[in-house]
Amino acid sequence: MVTETESMQPSLPEHTARTLALWEIVSVATSCLIAEWVVLSFVGRSKLIIAIPILLAFGLMAFSHVERGETLNDIGFRLDNFVASCRLLLLPTVVAVLLVVAAGWFMGHAIFAGHIGSRHLSLPLWALLQQYALNGFINRRAQLALGKGMKSVILVAVVFALLHLPNPLLAAVTLIGGMIWAAVYQRQPNLFALALSHALVSITLAMTISPNLFNSLRVGFKYFG
Amino acid sequence: MARFDNLMKTPSTTLVHVLIGKSIAETLLVGALAVVTFITVLPPYFHGWGEVTDSGISGWVVNNAAPWERVEVELFVDGEFVATRVANESRPDVAAAGWAKNEWHGYKFILPPLSAGSHEARVYALHDSGAGTRKSLQLVGDPIRFSVDAGGKPHAISR
Repeated sequence: MVTETESMQPSLPEHTARTLALWEIVSVATSCLIAEWVVLSFVGRSKLIIAIPILLAFGLMAFSHVERGETLNDIGFRLDNFVASCRLLLLPTVVAVLLVVAAGWFMGHAIFAGHIGSRHLSLPLWALLQQYALNGFINRRAQLALGKGMKSVILVAVVFALLHLPNPLLAAVTLIGGMIWAAVYQRQPNLFALALSHALVSITLAMTISPNLFNSLRVGFKYFG
Repeated sequence: MARFDNLMKTPSTTLVHVLIGKSIAETLLVGALAVVTFITVLPPYFHGWGEVTDSGISGWVVNNAAPWERVEVELFVDGEFVATRVANESRPDVAAAGWAKNEWHGYKFILPPLSAGSHEARVYALHDSGAGTRKSLQLVGDPIRFSVDAGGKPHAISR
């Protein structure tokens, strides 16, 4: 049964809904860029003000999920396909970790010798948040706009890399990582498995590669100072 | 197998309104931050003047937001940094004219040896903001154009 309130809200034509999906991607990416580039440069480390664009982005994502009738299970907060997703991620994650270790060894850095700080301990949660925004939202909207497959995977990866500028090496790494994670998500949408892979690669990077090479993984305005 | 987009409901126009609202909110946020930052980093409170004298550049500067404060000034000649000092010399004429609460807002710079010909001096007020994390330079008065003769003596160029 359609309630009176629902009947008063006209649905959008399909082609408009796809354009809308692209707009949603741009809107969320813009919020992240505002936080990274504008807020950090204008107000430094004021967490309260940085929270405004982040909350706006998460508010939009939550509202959009409700509007499109997506459940937590649809988004990827689920366990039924965790093992299947881990199987898909195992090879690329192991290869990425080995490549990072090999790069560290080649550059003469001490392997897994970095200090694990409180920042690193929160990495799994941070990775889950990033994977939710990247795949649970942007990937799903990219699939709406461009369909499942290479086009939407590339769009997701480009957005992910864009958010890591102006750190050139980090942007390149996240472009590759973004493609792999987006492709895996399209086959097995499980955010916990993606976050695990993301956290493992990030911790290996932080502990093996000299912070100078990736400028302590800094992005946005923070990259410069 | 069902298509991905068929698994989702088509959103109502409310989503468009939310997107527009979010864009407006972010535009206002960025605009407000820009204005606040501009006023904080480059406050429109500095007032002063500079001129060429026989020995160099002298003038006065007052921070209207803190009229008792002594302002730090920097001299640049032809775009090159020359010297910095605190404007705390006596300028009774400035206080008498009502520009400052007291007379201790004057500065004097001795010019370095300069080649003969025309030059331009600029005096900037140095301003700290962000608990000392940011420093900005604000031009005090107008750029001062002057010429140096063969004997090395500066002369004002009339505007």
